[in-house]
Amino acid sequence: MTEADNEKLRIKSLHERHIGLTPSLSGTFFEAASVCLSRHHNSPVEIEIARNGGTTRRVVDFQRPDDRVLNAWANDIDTTETGAYGVCLAVVEVEEQLVAVRRAETLTGADWYVAPVGTEPDDLESCFRLEVSGVDAGSRATVETRLRQKVAQTRRGASNLPAIASVVGFKEKAVAMQKVSNDQ
Amino acid sequence: MTWADLHVESERLAIEAQLALRTRNAARAIELYKRAAEIEQRALDQLDVSKARTRGVTAVSAVALWFKAGEYALAEQLAHSMLADPHVPDFAREDLRNLVQGIWTEGAKKNAGVAFVPGQVMVSVKGGEVVTGGAPLDLIVDKVQTIQSMFYRTIEFVSGLSHRKVGRPSKELQEACRPWLFQSAPGSYQFSVAIQKPAQPDFFKQDIEPERIAQHFLEIVSASSGEDHAELENLVPDESYRNTFLKLARSLAPTGKTFDRIELRASGETRPVALGVESRVNINRQLRKKLDSLATADEVHEELRGILRAVHLDKDWLDVVVGSTSVHIEGLQDTVDDVIGPMVNRSVVVRAVRVSETKLRFVDIELAD
Repeated sequence: MTEADNEKLRIKSLHERHIGLTPSLSGTFFEAASVCLSRHHNSPVEIEIARNGGTTRRVVDFQRPDDRVLNAWANDIDTTETGAYGVCLAVVEVEEQLVAVRRAETLTGADWYVAPVGTEPDDLESCFRLEVSGVDAGSRATVETRLRQKVAQTRRGASNLPAIASVVGFKEKAVAMQKVSNDQ
Repeated sequence: MTWADLHVESERLAIEAQLALRTRNAARAIELYKRAAEIEQRALDQLDVSKARTRGVTAVSAVALWFKAGEYALAEQLAHSMLADPHVPDFAREDLRNLVQGIWTEGAKKNAGVAFVPGQVMVSVKGGEVVTGGAPLDLIVDKVQTIQSMFYRTIEFVSGLSHRKVGRPSKELQEACRPWLFQSAPGSYQFSVAIQKPAQPDFFKQDIEPERIAQHFLEIVSASSGEDHAELENLVPDESYRNTFLKLARSLAPTGKTFDRIELRASGETRPVALGVESRVNINRQLRKKLDSLATADEVHEELRGILRAVHLDKDWLDVVVGSTSVHIEGLQDTVDDVIGPMVNRSVVVRAVRVSETKLRFVDIELAD
């Protein structure tokens, strides 16, 4: 890995670093994120990440989808949600040194749990639940409003389960992220 | 085998199932979900009570997997046994209760002998005069009617039908996609709405996924009540449809007098789309943006509060009784039946422009609550 790569947000081949991902799901996340980003931008693009009261900027490379990929991702809502997972997992990896280690089902989908790079926890006691949301064409204000809603929802459901709420704005090239726990 | 070994295997199968669903291979997905559920339940058995969080998450995961596999009896059995366990943490308890609610509704639908489009919307009306399991009848009837209208409009919109200004949906659509109301476990006042599956297999165009109707409905409600106007414009590019959805969403939203909040969520989903008093403000802001752009500087706007006595959409007028005086207002523009119809004989707020001493031109109408 070169020094330039350190500055990058790597959404490709997430399964190579995130032990909880399978190659096929990782490919799905990359494809969907590429479709979402290519709706508004050309690769590479610089994304602003807001967390802990500060901001950083990271460059992300993505693949311009061909017609076959676009047809496979014709459902905008699913694509935005799946693409947001790809981007958010890459962000927690580079900014928080956390990777996806476990996944647990919910009735309408699944939650991801993240833990420090290099650990393979035997249980979920010290993991963070990752709460992800995607905004396709909304403004910066929409991303911020969505994050506030996510934080409130996560806090209501958090109990003693610490979580990270994150929102990706694809058009805005922005990610907003906040840690949430019941003692906040 | 340890919890981690089993859980990892269950995860792998569940991911495969999810990917099978993406390629529309439902039979394969169900088989994979079944195997994932069996293994997740074995993983759950490996955990002692000291691992409270892991146990809670795994219990929810196992019940959800049984549910996704269509094994409702096994899902319910496991959910109840975990709910009876005093060591299960509160966050998991809430998720398990929601799952049980989803299981009951799915069971009731199965017993009804009618096929339903996958996905349903759970509705909770909260606060004000609403108590646990009970609410004023007129309030609930009104909300049910508005939700039905929004469902029909969503189906018409996703089917690419042109915007309907007058009358009810076509008989064909009403018969094919009849909304059903199911009783739900009480907690505030709750019910669920499911759409009957059309008997005709090709009722929906090939590119329409019927299972997305409930999701579309919720997305539209959420975008209508949000602060970002572009979100709704993106979701519903047709302006006539967008205005109708906004007005229907406003009719759903509370004014704060009889109830404080209405929450709508996909079955089993713990994160609802919520409409509070502030939602009405956002919706009015969206609606007035358009109206303000059409207004001229010298117009005199008036706001009338009264009872809507009569409407004639074909002749383009309405009568509202303010105190003991009947006021005639013309120019109903894009007002549609399913928005204004339920307001007849109810308290309303009408906004109008005075065009002469005796004439008022209609701008907007909403329920006064």
